[in-house]
Amino acid sequence: MNKEDLINTLKKIVKPYIQDEEGFENLSENTDFIKDLKINSANLVDVILDVEDEFDIIVDNESMEKMLTVKAALEIIETKLSEK
Amino acid sequence: MIGNDLVDLKLAAKQSNWQRKGFLDKLFTPKEQGYILNSKNPFKTVWLLWSMKESAYKAYLQIHGDRFFAPKNLSSHLISKNIGTVLINNVLFFTESEMNEAYIYTVAFSEKHNNKFLTNCFRFEPTDFETQHSQTYQKVLAAFARELKLPVVQLKIEKNILGVPQLFQGEVLTKHSFSLTHHGQFGAFSIEI
Repeated sequence: MNKEDLINTLKKIVKPYIQDEEGFENLSENTDFIKDLKINSANLVDVILDVEDEFDIIVDNESMEKMLTVKAALEIIETKLSEK
Repeated sequence: MIGNDLVDLKLAAKQSNWQRKGFLDKLFTPKEQGYILNSKNPFKTVWLLWSMKESAYKAYLQIHGDRFFAPKNLSSHLISKNIGTVLINNVLFFTESEMNEAYIYTVAFSEKHNNKFLTNCFRFEPTDFETQHSQTYQKVLAAFARELKLPVVQLKIEKNILGVPQLFQGEVLTKHSFSLTHHGQFGAFSIEI
């Protein structure tokens, strides 16, 4: 899966939880889930659980701690996929 | 330092499924999961503990600026039904919660006896997220203007790089700790005075 596919899959995952359409339209690697997409912090765990299901990976607590931006999420997904 | 968090229970039931596989495990310590599973109303206990952790985290961020998403590193303890503590990286916060059928609202403090604060909870007319956000800002500015005896036009709120809102008088950053929250039909602010 290339980066563009990864971002598109991630976009599909976060869509149900976003509360800022403009931030979503402009989603890039630098997008912050809470600051830019206004995802409610309790829903961040749903994003993480959806990522786990979609990519069949386990996001451990240490990785989860950093998962506040699209960039961090992509790095974690790529690392976990490469370990499979 | 003061932090707050409000959960609109009706909206929370719609937005999150606490019974989803992995949900409790990712958000709550084993002790907290015990509180939830042994509670008469697990749904309400989930959101009580969440609002305790979230409000303490908001106070913590004002002192130790470093954002992270590690809900299990925020460890809550219930002293009574609505009073508790939250430990974050060895920093202890004290919490007081208000619970009713519509919402759970928690205020967290960094010091036990420094409880001079003003807090106000309100219901919104049906509106969108952005409007709620700006109405909450207007309310806290009006409260500060009253408390500090200053014209409201001299005050403004800006978020710092961590997303923590800060009060400015003109262009000068003030040291007043405060916290804002809104969810669903309800909003609230708390200011330290």
